[in-house]
Amino acid sequence: MSEIANTETGTQKTHAQQLHEAQLQKKRQFQANVSLTWLILFLLLLLIFSSYEIKSSNGTTEFSLWQYETVVIDGKEALKKTRSVISTIPFGLPDEGITLKTILVDRDFVKENFSFIAGGLYWTVRVSLFSIILATILALLAALARLSTFPPFYALSTFYVSLIRGTPLYLQILFFFLALPQLNVRMTGEMAGVLALGLNYGAYMSEIFRAGIASVGKGQREAAIAIGMTPAQTMKRVVLPQALRFAIPPVGNDFIAMTKDSALVAATGFVHELTWNAQKVGRSQFRSLEALIIAAIFYWIMTIILTYIQGIIESRLAKGDR
Amino acid sequence: MKKLYNVLVVAMVAALVLTACGNVGTQADNLLDDIKQRGYIMVSTDPNYEPQSFLNTDGKRSADTKCPSDALTTAEMQGFDVDVAKAVGEGLGVETCFATPDWDVITAGNWADKWDVSIGSMTVTTARQQILDFSVPYYYTPAVVAVRADAGIGSLADLEGQALCVGTSTTYEFWLNGDTEGLGLPEASIYAQAPNVTVVPLPTDQECAQAIAAGREDFVGYVTSQTVVNANIAAGFPVVQLGSPVYSEDLAAAFDKSSTLPTDTLRAEVDKIFTAMHSDGRLSELSNNWLGEDLTQAPN
Repeated sequence: MSEIANTETGTQKTHAQQLHEAQLQKKRQFQANVSLTWLILFLLLLLIFSSYEIKSSNGTTEFSLWQYETVVIDGKEALKKTRSVISTIPFGLPDEGITLKTILVDRDFVKENFSFIAGGLYWTVRVSLFSIILATILALLAALARLSTFPPFYALSTFYVSLIRGTPLYLQILFFFLALPQLNVRMTGEMAGVLALGLNYGAYMSEIFRAGIASVGKGQREAAIAIGMTPAQTMKRVVLPQALRFAIPPVGNDFIAMTKDSALVAATGFVHELTWNAQKVGRSQFRSLEALIIAAIFYWIMTIILTYIQGIIESRLAKGDR
Repeated sequence: MKKLYNVLVVAMVAALVLTACGNVGTQADNLLDDIKQRGYIMVSTDPNYEPQSFLNTDGKRSADTKCPSDALTTAEMQGFDVDVAKAVGEGLGVETCFATPDWDVITAGNWADKWDVSIGSMTVTTARQQILDFSVPYYYTPAVVAVRADAGIGSLADLEGQALCVGTSTTYEFWLNGDTEGLGLPEASIYAQAPNVTVVPLPTDQECAQAIAAGREDFVGYVTSQTVVNANIAAGFPVVQLGSPVYSEDLAAAFDKSSTLPTDTLRAEVDKIFTAMHSDGRLSELSNNWLGEDLTQAPN
């Protein structure tokens, strides 16, 4: 009946279409609300680090800004925290009232050192990228070996995962950098770091892949064998594609964690990445908080990019669900 | 299957033995010659401390540097230690490059030939002498206790039962822990015994000062060199130096005892350079420039 109505008026929609549109509308509204809340949370975060102070007492409200200022004490220059009033409103809470304080960030320091600290991004991205590639390969090999019925492979995989997960990453980095030269294996700081990070995250991620492989139903394998696939073909064409879909979110999680663990590689003294740059500049100028905030901005941006990529891959692999 | 397993085990053992036997040949038979052959000396320093050693964030690496790409050049570093290292490079007729590992990695020795020498205000102690060789001192700093200005503490005795902060693996930590053996200074250069306090070690001395400046009250003060306290006060930190220095440190260049190539000729050469710089006043000048006073004269 509605079909007839549709052809007659040309504007009338079917019930199914209406339902579909209502759903889309709901989805859009949800998205808009999520974005709005993100924006509010982000502005709140900015406010916390804005160095502003709002004081409402004795019937007046004062907006002021905290800053570091160079003052001369006993003939010596020194930095002092000072408060300058921006504006005053003749309304406010009575008596003591309320003072809203925010965290003082030295803006001059941030301006002066932003680009220098950002220079560490090159090393952070480089080390993370190489480590991610190595970790993925190792994790896949370890997960497959773990499923092997050949004892040495199984032992190799479980021994590797047990040893690496059982020891600290910092020790592993120093092992490759400072212990291996005794065997005449000489590595640069970066190589040692990438190897250690790759091995470390490979061990953790192999468990994710293993769980992914195990999540593929036994029936799938039996069906593959029944239509004449070899075990290798079964793994490649049937099990792994399905296992991967399951593994993507936790693997993305590990990649994000790794970008921050890449900072440990700086202990070798030859990898001048984000955190290292921030710590050195921050410590020598007594502005560790400011310096690490600058580094944090870049880590966050990297995380947002990685999350975005993960989302794309996820939705692509999810196409099989329809 | 069992045969394959045996083959695999043999192969793994063989691989291990082979890596152990592989040898990287160098022509030089001591570290000094090696440095002269490659044309640069790799100096380790910890750029956490202005004015001794800190980064020059505006510094541009020169295009014709001999330094490996992952090492820092003299253009990217600045400070008293850095200038001393530069002078050592010039004295040897080679370029100076910098490696910047964590401080505790430097003091632990076993550098695996990654850098040739540490010129980073390292205190000469008996414990460190077991794993490192030292040059003659190039300057001397008094170690002092700094306390929060409003803590109401007037002497070392007032500190009893309080908490003090130190940078980890520093001589200040040894002194506070009463570990005179670890400190390993001659008795004449220790002026005071550490009070009975709770020791709070943080990654570096600078974290101690910043924690106090941030208003944290986990400790009333910290132990560090006088130069660091002066820099902290100049930065507007609410701290004061407590009384007179508690001990004096000899600061020298350090060499790794486990170095593959012998370091004795290099050490002799560095000693010669330092002695010359002491007598012609170059060290005093650098000290006055960077530290605002001459700390290169041995205390009596």
